[in-house]
Amino acid sequence: MDDVTIRLGARGLSKAYGAVEANRDISLDVAPAQIHAIVGENGAGKSTLMRCLQGIERPDAGTIIVDDNEVTFTQPQQALNLGIGMVHQEFMLAPDLTLLENLVLGDEPERVSLGVLSRVDWGVARTSGETLAAQAGVTIDWSRRSASAPVHVQQFVEILRLLRRGTRILILDEPTAVLAPQQVDDLFALLRRLRDGGTTILFISHKLREVTALADRVTVLRRGEVTYQAAISDTDVDTIASHIVGGGDSSVAPVRRASNRSSVGASVFDVTGLSVPSIDKSHALHDVHLSVKEGEIVGIAGVAGNGQDELVECLVGLRAPGDGQVRLRDADITRASNTERRARGIAYISADRRHEGLAIDASVEANVIAGSQRSATLKRGYFLSAARIRALARDRLERLNVTFGSLKSPASSLSGGNQQRLVFARETDGDPSFMMAAQPTRGVDIRGIEAIHRILWDFRDRGGAVLLVSEEMDELLALSDRILVMSDGRIVGEVEGDKADPQSIGRLMVLQDREPEPAHV
Amino acid sequence: MSDQAIAQNNGVVPDAIGKGFAFVFPFIAAIFVSGLALLAIGENPVDIFVLMANEAFGTERRIAATLSAATPLLFTGVATAICFRSGVFNVGVDGAFVLAGLAAAYIGFTLPAAFGVSLIPMAFVFAALVAAAWLYVPGYLMAHYEVDEVVSTLMLNFVALGIAGYLVNGPLLSELSGNNVTPLIHEAAHLPRLLPPSTLHAGFFIGLLMVIAYGIWTRRTATGFEGALVGLNQRFSRAIGISVPGAIILAMVLSGIVAGFGGASHAMGQLHRFVEGFSPGYGFTGMAVALLGRNTALGIFLSAVLFGALASAGTTVQFFSDIPLDLVNIVEGTVMIFAVVEISRLAWRRRRKAA
Repeated sequence: MDDVTIRLGARGLSKAYGAVEANRDISLDVAPAQIHAIVGENGAGKSTLMRCLQGIERPDAGTIIVDDNEVTFTQPQQALNLGIGMVHQEFMLAPDLTLLENLVLGDEPERVSLGVLSRVDWGVARTSGETLAAQAGVTIDWSRRSASAPVHVQQFVEILRLLRRGTRILILDEPTAVLAPQQVDDLFALLRRLRDGGTTILFISHKLREVTALADRVTVLRRGEVTYQAAISDTDVDTIASHIVGGGDSSVAPVRRASNRSSVGASVFDVTGLSVPSIDKSHALHDVHLSVKEGEIVGIAGVAGNGQDELVECLVGLRAPGDGQVRLRDADITRASNTERRARGIAYISADRRHEGLAIDASVEANVIAGSQRSATLKRGYFLSAARIRALARDRLERLNVTFGSLKSPASSLSGGNQQRLVFARETDGDPSFMMAAQPTRGVDIRGIEAIHRILWDFRDRGGAVLLVSEEMDELLALSDRILVMSDGRIVGEVEGDKADPQSIGRLMVLQDREPEPAHV
Repeated sequence: MSDQAIAQNNGVVPDAIGKGFAFVFPFIAAIFVSGLALLAIGENPVDIFVLMANEAFGTERRIAATLSAATPLLFTGVATAICFRSGVFNVGVDGAFVLAGLAAAYIGFTLPAAFGVSLIPMAFVFAALVAAAWLYVPGYLMAHYEVDEVVSTLMLNFVALGIAGYLVNGPLLSELSGNNVTPLIHEAAHLPRLLPPSTLHAGFFIGLLMVIAYGIWTRRTATGFEGALVGLNQRFSRAIGISVPGAIILAMVLSGIVAGFGGASHAMGQLHRFVEGFSPGYGFTGMAVALLGRNTALGIFLSAVLFGALASAGTTVQFFSDIPLDLVNIVEGTVMIFAVVEISRLAWRRRRKAA
């Protein structure tokens, strides 16, 4: 069929944004029918490289190669025409259309060709959908509304949609981020089948185990440069990890497990029979019971969108509970406002750092003292004292070693890890007794993750109680003394931290998944 | 220009590079555009601009006229900025200003003259109460029922004008003079004139006091800090324990108090009565003042003086040249357009919040 040696490649590709060199002299060869993984820390240049390969960005220097020929993209359409398609982290499906409508959206088969007046031939659409699904070895209920379809099915439809448009080179940006372990297996099976059928796949990931399980070759980016390339058969997780971090010094994935169970004390935070109705599109909670003790980290595992966000909001006082009770030590705080809960010693690490954890446009100083603005320690006489504010801000930031330029710079000028450390610096001051930590390391690079895990351990070792909601299995396993599994708004299982393994938790996560109800109209 | 939106605020948003440029730019643009207009009608722009500068700042009397014209803008500018920095797009300052003027005048001519100077504080307090209550309503509706404050405050302006128009032509109509005016307030209740024969009066200092108090509120108080955070990010503010409805209502009420003082100052110092057409859009010019001043105390002061200069130069420049008043309106309008470019950013922020 074709004798090309390089299906997609780059030669000496460089791209700078101002003074920041996002990509420097990157060369890359992806052979036809190969799965090639790109790994690297946040900010290593993965996204920039993908944007160049798709024609969204024009490189400053270097060339892109498609089918052994040098090409120059001036607009994304050209890359599309050459068969390069990308599945983004956020799916691009229209939620209210059916999966079939989404499949053909923008390129509908026409029954009668009359320009804008053409009628869509749904028979042909369905046939092409079913053919594609059969080729990919998946079954899809095409008449289902896409918003109600399971996440991995939505992802399949995204992929099939690109294939239908003639995509031969598939780029996937962290495709497993939202999937449960079983769904990941299904996705990998699909990708392998596509590869065996001749599709070339470029796959961005943070998760090294997935990379070694799926990819044929791996390229490591670090600070905009390629630091390592190898066939998967010639390498292993530790080698790849050392190149991601650089210097080959430290081990990477969070490996230290929770310890020191002897210090677990009295119960700090108790939830009994908590139920929350579903409002708008939020998920309902059903009869949730949990308790967190002094010196304990309790993890909550679950596929995203099974009520974790609602639980978190309810526990910190940002969402009204329907039924049940929440107690902090001896006090009933079920109806207490968020303000009152904070005053009683609840710290909150928001999963949405950019929009809820921080006021990203406000200064570092304002962000780190926010919430304490009414405290008497910041005042001199009736008014706030600039000097005292500065002193408190510095004190908090230094305690957690936050690296910042100036107190007056916007919080957005900090790196992701430092932004999150800033949040911890604010939230852990004043010795809270309970910390609600939601996705504490989301969007943080490996070094930052280590630092944040250390903060959480320190907090626990000083007798703090932590409820940790995370989508990162490694993180839950490394940090938690107990892991609760959440599915469909319920706690469906509990595993002791030292007995937990990804498989058993993963099974619990999807065990309760309701069978997709038929959505035929 | 800086990439902070309209709700930017002192102390909380980092000082943006080019803040000064952001302030000067609308004027450069305005001078350029009106220069073109002058060339088109065959005038030498340089001569005219020199004349205008002289008419605004040339002599003590002209400076007094400029500051007199700036006085109401100090109040309305601060009243608007209080809301804008908290993310509340209050366009109802004009209505509050008008009702407050009527309320102050009412105190000034109905209470017995025997109250003497104490009429002044009474009138200010009453005016502030009326205006604060007036803006409390859209504030409450916005905070608790998500009623769009742009619509409610804009509409309330018409209601305010209607109420004032009815009262001044009916129950409160002066028996001595013709239509549309209330009786004059007692002499004892007049704010003292500073540089007679100019109309500059002590209200100017009250306005300066408002600007200073505003600066202190934004930088040195907890509620000022909270207002700024609410203006930047409501979700964050809520999560950090700030009462967002409380901050919104407070901004509206404070805005009402300042607008109320402004109305009282204008009634007691400038006109000495209430007349229909009491405000030729001071509330709206106040929006331009707040926007151009980037919600900072110093910026508001400078913008108010500059708009005051345009107004005072505009009225006299036509006596000394063939320049029609419309030219001054062009300058004023151009400055406003370029200053108000920031409004579109607020609209964008609102959409993003809604999304």
